[in-house]
Amino acid sequence: MKDGFRQSMAWLHTWAGLLVGWVLFAVFLTGTAAYLRPEISYWMRPELALSRPGPENAAVAVAAMQAMAPDSPSWFITLPNERETVTRVFWRDPKAQGRRFRDAVLDADTGQPVAARETLGGDFFYVFHFQLHYVGVLWGRWIVSICTMFMLVAIVSGIITHRRIFADFFTFRPGKGQRSWLDGHNVCSVLALPYHLMITYTGLVLFMLMVMPWGIDRAYPGQRAAFNTEAFGNAPPRQRAGTPAPLAAVTPLMEEARQRWQGGRVGRVIVQNPGDAHATIQLIRAESERLSYNQQSLTFDGTTGALIHDSGDSGAAAEVRGVMYGLHIGRFAGPLLRGLFLLSGLAGTAMVATGCILWATKQRQQAARRGAAGFGTRLVEHLNIAAIAGLPLAMAAFFWANRVLPQGLAQRGAWEAHVFFIAWGLCLLHPLLRRGRRAWVEQFAAGALGFALLPVLNALFTTQHLPATLARGDWVRVWFDLGLLGCGALLGLLAWKVARHRPSAPLPRPAAVLALRSLAEAAP
Amino acid sequence: MIGLGFALAYAGFSALCLAMERHHEQVFRSRRIPPWRRLALAGGGWLLLGASALPLLQALGWGMGLVFWAGILTVTAMPLAMLLTYAPRLALALAGLSLPAGLVLLLCGA
Repeated sequence: MKDGFRQSMAWLHTWAGLLVGWVLFAVFLTGTAAYLRPEISYWMRPELALSRPGPENAAVAVAAMQAMAPDSPSWFITLPNERETVTRVFWRDPKAQGRRFRDAVLDADTGQPVAARETLGGDFFYVFHFQLHYVGVLWGRWIVSICTMFMLVAIVSGIITHRRIFADFFTFRPGKGQRSWLDGHNVCSVLALPYHLMITYTGLVLFMLMVMPWGIDRAYPGQRAAFNTEAFGNAPPRQRAGTPAPLAAVTPLMEEARQRWQGGRVGRVIVQNPGDAHATIQLIRAESERLSYNQQSLTFDGTTGALIHDSGDSGAAAEVRGVMYGLHIGRFAGPLLRGLFLLSGLAGTAMVATGCILWATKQRQQAARRGAAGFGTRLVEHLNIAAIAGLPLAMAAFFWANRVLPQGLAQRGAWEAHVFFIAWGLCLLHPLLRRGRRAWVEQFAAGALGFALLPVLNALFTTQHLPATLARGDWVRVWFDLGLLGCGALLGLLAWKVARHRPSAPLPRPAAVLALRSLAEAAP
Repeated sequence: MIGLGFALAYAGFSALCLAMERHHEQVFRSRRIPPWRRLALAGGGWLLLGASALPLLQALGWGMGLVFWAGILTVTAMPLAMLLTYAPRLALALAGLSLPAGLVLLLCGA
């Protein structure tokens, strides 16, 4: 048992990766798309006009809320920024039944509600990547958390298994069957290893309070709120006084926050008990400003405008979690760094995909020697097609639904998601009819066509087509359309590669392999 | 500053590649690397790679700088691995160009 440890790690790596590989592929790909969440949401609401954020946005939004929801006990206002040029608000409605929150999208300059189509926008991919769909919030989160733990096991055991990690650092040998898949898997894994470790580990940290609640439950029995106040520096809540009082102007508070944060920007405004003598106005610093996701906030008295609480800097442990949270969601990143995150995310997606394909290729080669491929091999091959080629196609279908579904359709946003899953479900059935390589080519080609035609569809169904957005300088939409064309080109390339591929010459018989191997070992 | 970080990282990885027999052969068609050249390439490669962190740390501070650096290491190594396979001479030319280009970017303030 000379290689016992490494071999057992190889076994662990194979099974930890394969068992949850398809879920991980979907989580990686939709999670990568989630880096573009505001851009996707903007593109999916072609009714939104281009506007640029300004200093008076907060006052406009507060005035709009005073007109729209004067009786609400709390307003939550997300101010516009470079990436999302609308103001988003939600508030608690004291009169509503059931779900007691209402929300609206406001024009940043006028405060008027924007009449945009009902869509889930980029939130769909973002939410799917940590809690899936149709299975319930808690179930989804648990499934993703457990798969993420498998991922961490697969990464660590993979590093141990990879005996030539430095010698093969840059090695990619194409056209050699199983060897090429292994090289590709190694290149995607090793060269983006800091990202893979970071994203997997911090992904677990995000759900640590759900997965491992025991420490906090012991220290703060039944008092999660007390823990949150202490750990995250929120101001203790204030009771309603019952006597009406006008709300202080928000613009001077914004100026004070800017000075206290040395030019830092306010990202969100929370108003509690507006119109009451005990009102508070909390200003929260923009997420794009700091690596840590822990909120820096200032809480002001809502009638006098006096500062009553400064969250300050968090303690060391809370800050560690905050930095991990921030690293995972990457909202601090400017365009260039976001590009690096996006590429690393795609490398992770390719890592999972090549790993799954590698397993199937290996089994195929063994089966070719033995005779027929077993059920397990065929199942994995089938699921590989549906996951790896099917998911991009389903994503294209989701964007198509956004443009094609009628405006007045009830539950339109939910239907976009249904279309996504119907398309994906068809991709799961398709390999039953068209086996092997043909299924790969057809699904990749359909995905390529789906993405490449989206800018055309955009021109047919909306006024926000490429020439128009280019003329207007609406760069987010311009880049998005170009990005869709890029996705189409990439999938087209994959389809072409698979179609052109000729399986390598029939394998030499085992005896010949052994002879070759002994020759190779004898050579100096 | 960030452009310089990219350039130094790419040049560093290229030098480390050329110190390895397999990649030396891809670029120069010969597996044999004179010992002094191997030493210079490996040493210079590690030095350049280490140096590529400095402009980022200087421009962005420790936290953001290290995150950026890790990202740059990934996106410079991946194309290099592909170029070595499909266009090894181009990989070498880019490595040679990257240092002057990085300095020009630095002077232009990018």
